[in-house]
Amino acid sequence: MSKMSFVLYESASGYGLFELVALDEIGTKAKDVQKTISDLSRFSKVMKLKAFQPFTNTAGALEEINAVSEGIMTENLKDFLVRNLPKASKEGKKAKFTLGMIDAKLANAVQEGTGLKCVCDEIVGEVLRGVRNHLTHFIKGLSDMDLNRSQLSLAHSYSRAKVKFNVNKVDNMII
Amino acid sequence: MRGGAKVAVTQHRHEGVYIARGKEDALCTKNMVPGESVYGEKRVSVENEGDKVEYRVWNPFRSKLGAGILGGLDSIWMKPGSKVLYLGAASGTTVSHVSDIVGPEGVVYAVEFSHRSGRDLVNMAKKRPNIVPIIEDARHPAKYRMIVGMVDCVFADVAQPDQARIVAINSHYFLKNEGHFVISIKANCIDSTVPAEAVFAREVKKLQEENFKPSEQLTLEPYERDHAIVVGGYRMPKKK
Repeated sequence: MSKMSFVLYESASGYGLFELVALDEIGTKAKDVQKTISDLSRFSKVMKLKAFQPFTNTAGALEEINAVSEGIMTENLKDFLVRNLPKASKEGKKAKFTLGMIDAKLANAVQEGTGLKCVCDEIVGEVLRGVRNHLTHFIKGLSDMDLNRSQLSLAHSYSRAKVKFNVNKVDNMII
Repeated sequence: MRGGAKVAVTQHRHEGVYIARGKEDALCTKNMVPGESVYGEKRVSVENEGDKVEYRVWNPFRSKLGAGILGGLDSIWMKPGSKVLYLGAASGTTVSHVSDIVGPEGVVYAVEFSHRSGRDLVNMAKKRPNIVPIIEDARHPAKYRMIVGMVDCVFADVAQPDQARIVAINSHYFLKNEGHFVISIKANCIDSTVPAEAVFAREVKKLQEENFKPSEQLTLEPYERDHAIVVGGYRMPKKK
């Protein structure tokens, strides 16, 4: 396994970039990682929030989720990653860290678009389970209620768009 | 169900579920949106020391979860405040009762792929702020990973041959360690060439291979034919 030092978490409220400060401690086997993430005090020692970029409005968030669910990197995401990840010391030299992502398709798109080395494996999946579980603990000023509200509003606009723009809709009522 | 003082509502063994005792007993849940029916079901109003509480009658012939409760499930792993991922939400009839059970503190993430029933689901969710409607294929949880949080329980009624796998990948994304699953299995949808019991046994085996620990299995007779509900835990700790 290559060294993973950052993970990207996409939430309904915004993008979060997390740094694994103590990779050795989190474990290299899925089982060890599971143990670490289930214990918040241990998990918060190995993970630090590097940056969080909230979505400013619903329309913007909708654009992001539409792209993310299709595995496309938006300008916003690219900008966020480039701005917050350490730069390679010299042009053309590969960065020394890897970015963990949950979706292989989006990982590919990011790797192509930014030149960052992205990984997508079982360990990343486990780490992101931990982030999903404890997200509001890591991000100050984001309460469970805030997160829930943004999930709700984003889900409504995402689903409404799906239903509305379906060309195959069969039940067009004629009144 | 009309009857005023003649109807008494008592708490069911499962928190958030009630039984209306009138001329006939009926399963019901406390209506989160008093005054409104979701799919034409009957409502029961009970006055309790000046407070009026309204309940909605839950028809076990229209809901597999309802049938499972009447069939005597040990636990449904949903109670007030729970977060539930509901796969195969359809128009949202059962979802509305789950929404009643988990109440304003809980959340129901309701996933439905069909646009036709999805439209009803989205409309119903407008009136119930604890339902997060998701019109997407449950086979691809990555597509809706941004709008779903960690949940306590995964309920699945997707009637697909690869149902066990669908539940597994969704649980891997969203179900807490030591969370629970409740799935309804329709034998015909998985394999119609062998007896229902064989299908159930095979599905249980598939679940065990995916880190699930089934603890309970119940057939839904007399409400549904060749249906079973399987309940269990996810990533349960090893017994010492």
